[in-house]
Amino acid sequence: MQTIRLKLKEEITSGNAKIPIDVDSLTPDKLFGKNEAEIKAVKVWWGNREENTGDLFDVSVEGEAGSVEEVKIVMEGDLSRVKHIGDGMKAGEIEAIGDVDMHCGAMMTGGKITVRGNADCWAGREMRGGELIIEGDAGDNLCAMYRGEMTGMTGGKVTVGGNAGECAGQYMAGGEILIKGNTSILTGLNMKGGKITIEGDAVMPGADMTGGEITVKGKVLDMMPSFRFVGTTTIEGEEYKKYIGDLAMTEKRAKGVLYVR
Amino acid sequence: MVEITDVVCSLCGCVCDDIVVEVEDNKVTKVKGACAVGKSKLMGHGRIESPAIRENGELRDCSYDEAIKEAAEILAAARRPLLYGWSSTVCEADKVGIELAEEIGAVIDNTASVCHGPSVLAIQDVGLPSCTLGEVKNRADLVIYWGANPAAAHANHMKRYSYISKGYWTEEGKKNKKLIVVDVRKTATAKMADVFLQIEQGKDYLVFSALRALLYGYEDVVPEVVGGIPKKDLLETVKMMKEAKFGIIFFGMGVTHTRGRHNNIVNAIQTTRAAHTHTKFNIMPMRGHYNVAGINQVCTWETGYPFAVDLSRGYAWYNPGEQSATDLLIRRECDAALFIASDPGAHFPGESIRHLAKIPVIQIDPFPNPTTEFANVVIPTAISGIEAEGNVYRMDNIPIRLRKLVDTEYMADEEILERILEEVRAIKEKEGE
Repeated sequence: MQTIRLKLKEEITSGNAKIPIDVDSLTPDKLFGKNEAEIKAVKVWWGNREENTGDLFDVSVEGEAGSVEEVKIVMEGDLSRVKHIGDGMKAGEIEAIGDVDMHCGAMMTGGKITVRGNADCWAGREMRGGELIIEGDAGDNLCAMYRGEMTGMTGGKVTVGGNAGECAGQYMAGGEILIKGNTSILTGLNMKGGKITIEGDAVMPGADMTGGEITVKGKVLDMMPSFRFVGTTTIEGEEYKKYIGDLAMTEKRAKGVLYVR
Repeated sequence: MVEITDVVCSLCGCVCDDIVVEVEDNKVTKVKGACAVGKSKLMGHGRIESPAIRENGELRDCSYDEAIKEAAEILAAARRPLLYGWSSTVCEADKVGIELAEEIGAVIDNTASVCHGPSVLAIQDVGLPSCTLGEVKNRADLVIYWGANPAAAHANHMKRYSYISKGYWTEEGKKNKKLIVVDVRKTATAKMADVFLQIEQGKDYLVFSALRALLYGYEDVVPEVVGGIPKKDLLETVKMMKEAKFGIIFFGMGVTHTRGRHNNIVNAIQTTRAAHTHTKFNIMPMRGHYNVAGINQVCTWETGYPFAVDLSRGYAWYNPGEQSATDLLIRRECDAALFIASDPGAHFPGESIRHLAKIPVIQIDPFPNPTTEFANVVIPTAISGIEAEGNVYRMDNIPIRLRKLVDTEYMADEEILERILEEVRAIKEKEGE
């Protein structure tokens, strides 16, 4: 097992401007096989200039890894302007201690990311596999897509300990999202597959959905006026109303299922 | 005295091109055919008199050369510069602006970002079944204004292009037209309407979905009241939509900046699409500044994206909500900013202004405004459409050429930007040596 510690230097975010750092080049699969000096020389984007990882982060490496699965990256310091943590990651593990910036776990296909804090918008964007755990809140567009894309998350599992922002799971086509708190408006917008469970309340869930399944265990505020009630069903011993929608997409395409208590 | 006809107004997205102006001693002395705001701009008012650089808190007048050099030095040194504005100048200047953004690895954003940006996002998702304002004038028999109040904001819109105008197949004007207004309050436009739907704040999304369900024939699922509007009124609206020969939805900030934002517009466009199963229907945003549609065009043909484009990594990355000007500033991401043909000092949230006070700011504008109060470099320009010519795009994306009416000593936007770009390249070349 190998642990790579990357601690953001304080002076990087202590100026007037808090310029974000893109760390999509610092995933376990990209750092596997590199020694400390080589990791320090990996380029990361800080604004419009590329810098050495070692100039922005304190880097330390403990232990050895025989495969990428044995690589764990621990990120520390003020991560609130560190974007694209684990973006495109294929295997291994990342633990981010504190609140992280946008696009955490975007495009990931495997491995595991744990965020010990909140994650800003677009966490798990277009995720294809692996696991993302956000212990705090998630921002808007959780597991959604890049602007203009017509497919969001297609695989993997995401757990949010707190609340999620607007449009969680937009254009979702596969995989699973569990949100333990509430969600803001339009969860599962344009959803076509996969499963979302909201333990708290949701506002206007399921709009324009053509497939997939949303379960709201709390209250639904502003229920969409274009869903058809088809009967009741029992989930984990509780009675839920089952709706089919969204009929605003025409009946032929309305294959989404919404369970409401 | 010289009378100039077919003058193009450079104020709002209507870009009225039938204005008559009288010029005497190189000054506009009379304006006919423009609305009150357009007239006020054409007649002229207070100007930034000289280029200036802020020293010890005060602006000190300087030469164009000095101000341009200072601006170039700020931009060349910046790690995350923002170039913002672009809607109240001509496409030729916008094109140089994008070249400058590419050269310095900047984020370039325009006023659509705080205006019809949500509409632009929605159009990318589902397209835009639209038409020209000429088609509306000649064909429309049902006009819907949703979250827009042209009687106050686009004063010539109804008269020239929509409800009141007379065209080839609409020669009797409003007599044979119907007007529906959807708004949260009874506006001046709403008072003229055949049907006024008073919607609850933030419920637009639900009402669009209900209209779609009704247009597709699923009356059974729609509840008795949606977004504060009784089902019978929604049914009446749908009947009017189905019976129209040519319908048009014009929408404004009331829909783009309420709960749901760009998704409201997706839903409005989908409603238009649902209406197509019965008749010819169209939809168009009520664009604000006279060339906000133009900067979206130029930015798209140069970078592939219409606004909020980040060129810092050498390719275009586009993500409104992340690279949009107010988001960048509230998050304190920028270390320098250039504002041209816009006034963030008056229009941006307080938190973003607080950050602007801490970083170097360059302003390029003909007029002094709240942004001038904190700008470090101020560069005055010729007024496009009065002192300089160039191309602009009307709200329906029709290109129209602005004319020059009087001579001026002020430099045009395009030339100022070209000079800054030249200086930036010289600095970079020197650094590279």
